[in-house]
Amino acid sequence: MAKKTECVAMLLAGGQGSRLGILTKNIAKPAVPYGGKYRIIDFPLSNCVNSGIYTVGVLTQYQPLVLNDYIGNGQPWDLDRANGGVHVLSPYQQIKGTEWYKGTANAIYQNINFIEQYDPEYVLILSGDHIYKMDYSKMIDFHKEKNADCTIAMLEVSWEEASRFGLMIVNDDGSIAEFEEKPKNPRSNKASMGVYVFNWKKLREYLIADEADENSGNDFGHNVIPAMHEAGERMFAYQFDGYWKDVGTIDSLWDANLDLLNPKVDLDLDDDSWKIYSKPPVATPHYVGKNAKIESSMLNEGDEVYGSVDFSVLFANVTVEEGANVKYSIVMPGTTIKKGATVQYAIVAENAVIEEGAVVGKSPEDMEDITEWGVAVVGNSVTIGKNAVVAPKTMIDENVGGAE
Amino acid sequence: MATNNVLGIIFANAYDSTIPEITALRAMGSVPFAGRYRLIDLPLSSMVNAGITNVGVITKSNYRSLMDHLGSGKAWDLSRKNEGLKILPPFSIPDSGDVISKISALYGSISFISESGKDYVLFADCNSVSGIDFADVIEFNAKKNADITMVCAKGMPASIALATEVVTDADGKVTELKKMDDFSKEVNYSAKCCIIKRVLLERLLHEANAKRISSFEELFAANIDKLNVYAYQYEGYIKVIDSIEAYYNASMDLLDPEVRKAVFNAENPVYTKAGDRTPAMYGKDADVKNSLISDGCKIEGTVENCLLSRGVKIGKNSKITNSIIMQDTVIGDNVELDCVIIDKDATIKNNKKLCGASNYPVFVGKGIVI
Repeated sequence: MAKKTECVAMLLAGGQGSRLGILTKNIAKPAVPYGGKYRIIDFPLSNCVNSGIYTVGVLTQYQPLVLNDYIGNGQPWDLDRANGGVHVLSPYQQIKGTEWYKGTANAIYQNINFIEQYDPEYVLILSGDHIYKMDYSKMIDFHKEKNADCTIAMLEVSWEEASRFGLMIVNDDGSIAEFEEKPKNPRSNKASMGVYVFNWKKLREYLIADEADENSGNDFGHNVIPAMHEAGERMFAYQFDGYWKDVGTIDSLWDANLDLLNPKVDLDLDDDSWKIYSKPPVATPHYVGKNAKIESSMLNEGDEVYGSVDFSVLFANVTVEEGANVKYSIVMPGTTIKKGATVQYAIVAENAVIEEGAVVGKSPEDMEDITEWGVAVVGNSVTIGKNAVVAPKTMIDENVGGAE
Repeated sequence: MATNNVLGIIFANAYDSTIPEITALRAMGSVPFAGRYRLIDLPLSSMVNAGITNVGVITKSNYRSLMDHLGSGKAWDLSRKNEGLKILPPFSIPDSGDVISKISALYGSISFISESGKDYVLFADCNSVSGIDFADVIEFNAKKNADITMVCAKGMPASIALATEVVTDADGKVTELKKMDDFSKEVNYSAKCCIIKRVLLERLLHEANAKRISSFEELFAANIDKLNVYAYQYEGYIKVIDSIEAYYNASMDLLDPEVRKAVFNAENPVYTKAGDRTPAMYGKDADVKNSLISDGCKIEGTVENCLLSRGVKIGKNSKITNSIIMQDTVIGDNVELDCVIIDKDATIKNNKKLCGASNYPVFVGKGIVI
């Protein structure tokens, strides 16, 4: 029997993130690289550890290989522990048959036994889709103080964006009066972050009831939380202030990376009191060549830069050859950009090769029709041939031959 | 021959006195090198890459920062149930004598050596930077069926204590070991790395202790006729650190891609303790040329021909050339530095100028504020 633990975190990492297209062809969304040396999942995992939560279940389903391999025994996050630690939980065979995780609530339901081992008071539900630094322990304190059954983290979004989110109408005492799921005409700008604290005993009841209901979609946002609300449970909203970004689309992933280069953006990764941990590559410091030019950019270990890099994020072991030009772009680990090639307004995935003279992406200023503009994406291990051109807003998943 | 049949031993304090400035607060093994590394990472990673799973690190003094760096040995995959990394602090046994030499330190650790049960013991120091592949040395030793194989290199020898010239016959068998006092001409010198049969080592250690012999060189020379000693000729890049100038040059050599490839080649990666720093950030007016930059650096000024360790900050309009800046040192605005070595956690305030020469770099100590 595991030691009793006050709070167990369950991190939903099974999603495909289909809006990221070819970037999530072979990896789950939480494993998508971000910020030069991280993967998205480093943020919730580091937040847990920094908040003093050392028991974390990671629920995987879609393309789990990279994610499993990356999490390993949890050592980079100090989650290789005798008590608790990180546990990868994938769907498993049961006596009544094998079932995939049907929805977010069902994923937790199928792991009731995992949670019960720790006999927790509270369960923290997280998703692996967002970039943010948050002290979950403060949210749990709020939850206790309000004597709540369920606390939902919320943040105020701009009114224009509000209709994209699940919104809450909140009473003066912080309790939740009403929920609205992506309404056309929002009455509130308080959006749910997909971070929940539940009293475990209460949640357990509702998960069992939800599973018994054949009409349920087994989802937290659509089924379990509305059911709790209808039954009159104590539901509270916990306000979060700070940087929070959903990186579910190509544009938002590109933006969120470039946010790191903007000193005005409130996301400081260089904060000793709230480090974001990751599994480091084994590589030398990066080398900057004699004719290189690097401005307003982030570079990583193992990079070799001989060309020019402006307003870009280079992950580890990227090579930029002489005369090559990288601007407003995200270049993931192991990619080589050869002589005279240009990569602009683009995301280039891991281990790609951009051959000499190729041009990937286009500046919005050079567009005749701005509505045609978008970030160009080159997939994993793709080779873009010599002098080839990759148009803006395209996703290249297969090698592109050279041009004259 | 299975390489895990070899015990690795690293002398973490050997030749500390050659760079007293940098080793004042630490052992040679924990001297920062190449931005993100400590010198011990080189021999330790080479041993691990050669398949050695049991490594003892012999320490003598000021080894706290070394212990902090090595931790459980996790970064080198040496945190193991069986074998792994062992730090061997000075151990005083009645017969080990007072003189602290490699021999007496080993004599103090003789039980560790015999309990390892390995057939061979491989020794390395921390003050040489090279691309020596220990797997090759081990294979050569087995092929020659040698009692001892010494790694040798041709060139200008480093002027360190007990520097030894190695004379061999056509087959590579060592016929004579000459103590050197002239460092002005190229010779075939001992790179202070050798592999020796464990049982023989134990016998020699007992003999040395009885006869009060304090160095391997003397010990080997005295037994050269009786033993089957071979020289493994290393042809690649090697630099032995015997002075602050040599430390400076070995660091600057790494700006040459060929040297970098020799010392840090991808097949034999060099492991080190994780820093969990952010990526390096280049500001709007940053201008960096021919430099090695580590994670966590923030650069606003000009940097040319430099090595920056983790977390170094360079302010606006500052111009740093031909310098080595160690971890977390902060350099303000309008600073000019040329041929300077700055230790960890130092601060150079705005508008200061410091200038050394490439054969006499200025050294700024740990935590100093200028």
